[in-house]
Amino acid sequence: MLAKADYILGANARSLDYLKPLNKKKGRRIANSKLLTKKYLIKAGLPTPELLAVFKTAKDIEEFDWLSLPDNFVLKPASGMGGGGVIIIKKKAKWAGEWYLMDDSIITIADLRFWVLDIMAGRYSLHNLPDWAMVEERIKIAEVFRKYAYQGTPDIRVIVFNKIPVMAMLRLPTAQSKGRANLHQGAIGVGIDIATGITTHGICQGRSLKYIPGTKRKVNGLKLPHWNKILTLAVMAQEAVPSLGFVGVDIVFDKKHGPAILELNSQPGLEIQNANNSPLKRRLERVTGLVVKDVEQGVRIAKTLFAERFADRVMAEEGVKIVNAWETIKIRTADKEKAEVRAKIDTGAWRTSIDRGLARELGLLRSDNVLWSKLYKSGLGEERREVIGLTFYLAGRKIETIASVAERAHLRAPVIIGRKDLSGFLVKPNR
Amino acid sequence: MLLLLPLVASVVAAARHLIGFRGFGLLIPMAIAFTFVATGIGTGVLVFLTILTIATLSRRVLRKLRLHYLPRMALFLWFVSLGILGLIFVSPYLGLGQLTAISIFPIVILILLAEEFIDVQIGKSLREAARLTIETIVIALIGYVIFKLKFLRELALSYPQLVVLMPLILNLFVGRFTGLRLIEYWRFRKILR
Repeated sequence: MLAKADYILGANARSLDYLKPLNKKKGRRIANSKLLTKKYLIKAGLPTPELLAVFKTAKDIEEFDWLSLPDNFVLKPASGMGGGGVIIIKKKAKWAGEWYLMDDSIITIADLRFWVLDIMAGRYSLHNLPDWAMVEERIKIAEVFRKYAYQGTPDIRVIVFNKIPVMAMLRLPTAQSKGRANLHQGAIGVGIDIATGITTHGICQGRSLKYIPGTKRKVNGLKLPHWNKILTLAVMAQEAVPSLGFVGVDIVFDKKHGPAILELNSQPGLEIQNANNSPLKRRLERVTGLVVKDVEQGVRIAKTLFAERFADRVMAEEGVKIVNAWETIKIRTADKEKAEVRAKIDTGAWRTSIDRGLARELGLLRSDNVLWSKLYKSGLGEERREVIGLTFYLAGRKIETIASVAERAHLRAPVIIGRKDLSGFLVKPNR
Repeated sequence: MLLLLPLVASVVAAARHLIGFRGFGLLIPMAIAFTFVATGIGTGVLVFLTILTIATLSRRVLRKLRLHYLPRMALFLWFVSLGILGLIFVSPYLGLGQLTAISIFPIVILILLAEEFIDVQIGKSLREAARLTIETIVIALIGYVIFKLKFLRELALSYPQLVVLMPLILNLFVGRFTGLRLIEYWRFRKILR
């Protein structure tokens, strides 16, 4: 991946260009309090871990019946940072009023009460301001993650900007992070291909990582279940709190209930770029100003724009393919059939382009396939051009990409294929 | 000295946004730089590291006891104060005679800052905390040099307007800088390649 420094989002640009103008005070307040976040998410009908109890005053602690809690739960500060002050209860111990923690040590009601007092005194909140404590159901680790995570529950961080999920990362707790899914504490961050939900590349403490420590298990190549739902939830979370324009959505995965939104982060970390081996600012700039009508469109744009190019790997496996200047390609139509079309390989163009009439004929102009449209000013006056999702086969290789729609009826080739989709090919110019 | 104070603050700000040294906020590195001037560099670093060690150790001990937050913090200062007192007592035997000679005031500042260190450390790994500490010392040393630099002192006396204007210009520039910090070039080197 070749990238200029301008493409990377640094802490300065994050704060001046994105956080300050986009994340309003109200939004930050919501994100900082897990209780408020929950309220807004529930109002929008989004799944969150069930709230079992809230402690606001000392009286709440005295009156609370700890024995009414289920076998396992999580006690945490409402405004904690970086996973501090969180106690995860694994199951009931032998006696009533005693529980096992994740590392099988025992905790009692007295310990828990004290912990709640600590939280309320502000031990884990920003500037030690008084805080509230809350008890939530514990998310049970889904089977796919069982062999990947140490003690705690992994979560998926999705950065949403302009209703588009621009980048995502799977966070796996380790022994060093004491079961917390926080990269600063030593958790593993694994980049995720937005298009497929397959993990790509792992990092831990700033270093690349191929295997889960102590195992032979590769971090890449894991396909996350319900990927579409995860992206959809992330975008819906931003819609629920519009005062956050640039937000990190943390999604957990329960064994039974599936994905749920754990919390929102109004100041998402930058390490996600290393996990994905991809610069974030470039992605943000590509979707700035796009008008996104609904959640589905936002997810669709992200999937087409930010799809990982596996071309390099394909090239290594199959070798470079040679194509002629004119090729017959097969385009996948809306009805999942293949239509043969003559195409010109045009290394002078960046993006692939397709004739409007042909695109309409193949059903590719249906509104669920149009990603966005832009007004172009050309010599012929103003022209509206749609950008659509396109899947075609060139020299036996399947290419999923985006294409702009143009009036090409009067030209020799109804389709031209641009440089963007030609990695792994060599072009023979004379034929 | 008063004129140089904003300059040191600007340097701390620039160190964060241009280089990427985070340190412990603005106040702590400045106060440390200031105490370094009062105590001398060797003693200053020694006292600072002693306080930090005692603070970290006593935090571990106090975590085991069940205490409310404020009493715990008070006890924690008790540990640090006694530790420094001990250091002052043994300093003549270690050949650090000057420790007894210096004013107690800068040392008190350092002790009071210990609470801040601990706050910053909470929620961070040991590695992260160590990094922050080293960065803080480096920034404080730069601040110390600025305080001590004869050239700047003379400049402040002969052309005060220059020394007054410098922080203004520097901070207007640093405050709008959106490029990558120096450390980030290293952090994202794999993507930059």
